[in-house]
Amino acid sequence: MSLLATQRSVSSVDAHTPLSHVKAQLETVLLGKSQQIMLALSCILARGHLLIEDVPGVGKTTLAHALSASLGLDWKRVQFTSDLLPADVVGVSIYNSETRRFEFKPGPVFTSILLADEINRAPAKAQSALLEAMEERQVTVDGVTHPLDEQFFVIATQNPNDQLGAFTLPESQLDRFLIGIQIGYPDAATERKLLEHGDRRAQASQLSKPLGARALGECSDAAQQMHMSSPVFDYIQALILATRNEGVGLSPRAGLALVRLSRSYAYLHERSHVLPEDVRDVFAALAGHRMTGSVKSGHIKAREILDKVAMP
Amino acid sequence: MTIRKGFSWRNLLPVLNPGDNSRMDARTLYALSCLLVLVQLPHTLNMPIWVSAVGLSMVGARLALLKNPKHKLLGWLLSPASVTGIAALSALAIKWDYGYIIGRDPCVAFLFILVAAKFAEVRRAIDATLLLCLCAFLLLTQYFYSQTIIAAIVTLPAVVALAYCLAILRDAKSPQNLIFHLKLIGKLLLQGLPIAALLFFVFPRLPGPLWSLPDSSTATTGLSDSMSPGSIGKLSQSDAVAFRVEFDNDTPEPNQLYWRGIVLSQFDGRSWSISDQKFHASATYFNKVQSQLKPSIDYTVTLPAHQQRWLFALDAASSQPKNYNASSRQQATASSTTSRAIGTVFTDGQILARERVTQPLRYRQSSSLSDVIPAVHKPRADTLHLPEKNTRTIRFAKELRARTSSDRAYAKEVLRHFNQQPFRYTLEPQLLGSTPVDEFLFDTREGFCEHYASAFVVLMRAVGIPARIVTGYQGGEINNDYLIVRQSNAHAWAEVYLDGVWQRADPTAAVAPSRVEQGLAAALPNEASVPRLSRQTPGLIRNALLRWDTLNYHWQRLVIDFDDDSQKSFWDAIGLGKAALWQICIIALLITSLWSAWVIGLPRWQRSTLERQERHWNRLVKTLGAHSLTRQHTESAADFLLRACEHWPACTSQFMRLSIAFEQLRFQAIDEGQQKILNTQLLKDIVWLQLTLPFRRRALPAN
Repeated sequence: MSLLATQRSVSSVDAHTPLSHVKAQLETVLLGKSQQIMLALSCILARGHLLIEDVPGVGKTTLAHALSASLGLDWKRVQFTSDLLPADVVGVSIYNSETRRFEFKPGPVFTSILLADEINRAPAKAQSALLEAMEERQVTVDGVTHPLDEQFFVIATQNPNDQLGAFTLPESQLDRFLIGIQIGYPDAATERKLLEHGDRRAQASQLSKPLGARALGECSDAAQQMHMSSPVFDYIQALILATRNEGVGLSPRAGLALVRLSRSYAYLHERSHVLPEDVRDVFAALAGHRMTGSVKSGHIKAREILDKVAMP
Repeated sequence: MTIRKGFSWRNLLPVLNPGDNSRMDARTLYALSCLLVLVQLPHTLNMPIWVSAVGLSMVGARLALLKNPKHKLLGWLLSPASVTGIAALSALAIKWDYGYIIGRDPCVAFLFILVAAKFAEVRRAIDATLLLCLCAFLLLTQYFYSQTIIAAIVTLPAVVALAYCLAILRDAKSPQNLIFHLKLIGKLLLQGLPIAALLFFVFPRLPGPLWSLPDSSTATTGLSDSMSPGSIGKLSQSDAVAFRVEFDNDTPEPNQLYWRGIVLSQFDGRSWSISDQKFHASATYFNKVQSQLKPSIDYTVTLPAHQQRWLFALDAASSQPKNYNASSRQQATASSTTSRAIGTVFTDGQILARERVTQPLRYRQSSSLSDVIPAVHKPRADTLHLPEKNTRTIRFAKELRARTSSDRAYAKEVLRHFNQQPFRYTLEPQLLGSTPVDEFLFDTREGFCEHYASAFVVLMRAVGIPARIVTGYQGGEINNDYLIVRQSNAHAWAEVYLDGVWQRADPTAAVAPSRVEQGLAAALPNEASVPRLSRQTPGLIRNALLRWDTLNYHWQRLVIDFDDDSQKSFWDAIGLGKAALWQICIIALLITSLWSAWVIGLPRWQRSTLERQERHWNRLVKTLGAHSLTRQHTESAADFLLRACEHWPACTSQFMRLSIAFEQLRFQAIDEGQQKILNTQLLKDIVWLQLTLPFRRRALPAN
């Protein structure tokens, strides 16, 4: 076993250490959810937006909060409601009577991490204002284009659609989210721990910030240098093909995203190369919401596909 | 929990049916019963009824027991002990019925009973394989009785059923439906066909039959060694095929087609029989035949087993009959070579085989078309012998001879007498009494060829001219490229000794010329007893029957008669000359393996284009799979090898090394030198595992 460990450590990169620190910190905040943490981190590394779907109270916001805090990025939060206007998200031009000019007051979108809470409670207009910003990484107000932060991530949470007062996100907009994950209830032991030690959300703001925006950018670039061998590409292709035989398949863009995400995931595991296991582990999060429009049912379907496709 | 599983040689052997003592399931039992009935049914034609009944009812009883497993009587009846009793009783009954036990019929009957008995007592699943072998053997014994196309077709369903049973034995755990199996066995049988054909061609044949099959039927129709009024006429009412002939060149004219069979010279006043003394024809005889300078023709005769010794040839035979093979076809006319002669020509022109023809026989023969048989010695006394019986005839003969100038003129006068007096040619003449020639010549004046030939010979002998009767066949029917001679072509004619040679004289031709020119039906247009196939009316059935005959003829020629001679000429044809056994084996193995490679080997070739590490990986997966550790297709390499570690903890270091090496080779970017080193190490580890795994202790039971 020691041989195995040395073989792997040979390939590790220096920048890994702060990242593993981030990982460890997050695990102390969100107990027993290391897989979700890994997925969320690799999503950020792959410069993708993250969608968290689950019932209220399982730690969606905590995860988003802790993520942004421990990555050392600015973050703002918008609580989406049914009367939310686009201007509430992107900002508004206000007439300044002193300078006699319209001045742009930037909205919460001008930040590194935007936590969009309960995104499916807002009407379509407000949703699409945000989603445009996610895609273009810029907003245009009154004919003036304002670029967003270089590191701009949206972490959106949403309630499962069968809850009352929810506006379903259309599939084209779901595609903008790199991955969709569920948090799920904690297991018995974790829950006990949680009950005994109280809510962890308060800790989030006290986390150390081992990584800055620049270091994160470097890590992102390094992650995309991961070696991916042809059997792994074959596997990715086979998976994509399998989704296309099952109704709504993955688009080529989604395929590229799968490659990016697998690389980031492998990077987080401190390897120099991508394994088929990486692809397998991230596949459901990436493909689920794209195939069915809902993270929950999508994951089930994605697992069915994983069961059908042989691993190299 | 750790189940200790030590090494045992049994593990190395493939196990066909792992569930050793499990009961045979209903599906297998039904399939086997179908197979058994299909194998049994054709045999019922050859068995005494009681044997068939016992065999079939045992199958029925077993199925009844399957439906109603609690039935006490059936359970007791089909217990091993009582089934053995039934088999033993049947053996005694067979001995009593046939009178002997060592022989084809009783042995097959006994096997028939035994196979049914085995099926009746079968309980365990593992017995199915044994039953399949028994069924295959019983199926084969059908060919002891008949080797015709029909027999081959009749066995086909049984062959399919056999293959089906084999197929369902393999999937006892996850049964598939019938269509799946039929597709599978269809594919397999088709794939096996070329190999079967190859074996048919190259499998070494014994020069003779493996064992002499007993005479199957004593009641074959055909010419016999004696002739009395009515005997040929009776024979002529049969459509059965006497023999078939293939001419190398053109078919001779119908009036030249005198197929000489038996020469009869002894006469007791009523019936004619074969002479006691016969002499082998010498080279002198053949020289005399050839010196007549008549056109010589070569042909091949295919004679069904007629249980007699006669062989047939056109007059006059100019060679000994020779066994058919390709080489004999090329040098047919060499008359003196007796190396492969299967019979002998006698001085009276008759040909006898060395032994009775109990198997279909194919022989080469050549003849000079002539109505004269040379006489190598003076006519024997019996060709003049005449009992003092047909006195009116003798008186008439003497009067007629006094009026003519020579023997030859007298013979012509007699023929003219038949032609001009109101003689009638018929298949249904009136019955004749004790002086048949007198009655025929002066009273009834109607008869078939034997009446005319007989009367003619008596008329000749009465005035001291040696004469004899020849029976055989006249004419034949051309069917595509060969000639069919039927029993209805049976004929009798006379030969007279004139000017030192035996001259053919056919009185029938004088009475009814159309018999010789156009056949029986033309001579007897209104007679109902002329058999259907000899009539001249064309018809759908007749056509179909002729085609069927063609098919059978070629089946016999190409399949049944493919013997060691044909094989030798086959080897000659491909330039091997006398092929040694090892050469044949190598050729057969080579072709078989090429074919198998083409059928099943393609995936292997495709795999070989894979990179080395992928080939090694497949090999490792296969090796572990052979020790029933199968890789799930969604299982990653590392997980799989981790599982292997759990099964064989002693090999953990090898498995971990393999796991790392595979990961590096397959998924990591490494340079070529490192790849080589890793690949070599991989191969070593895999081979080591292949060699040692059978002897390792397993920590977990095989799944």
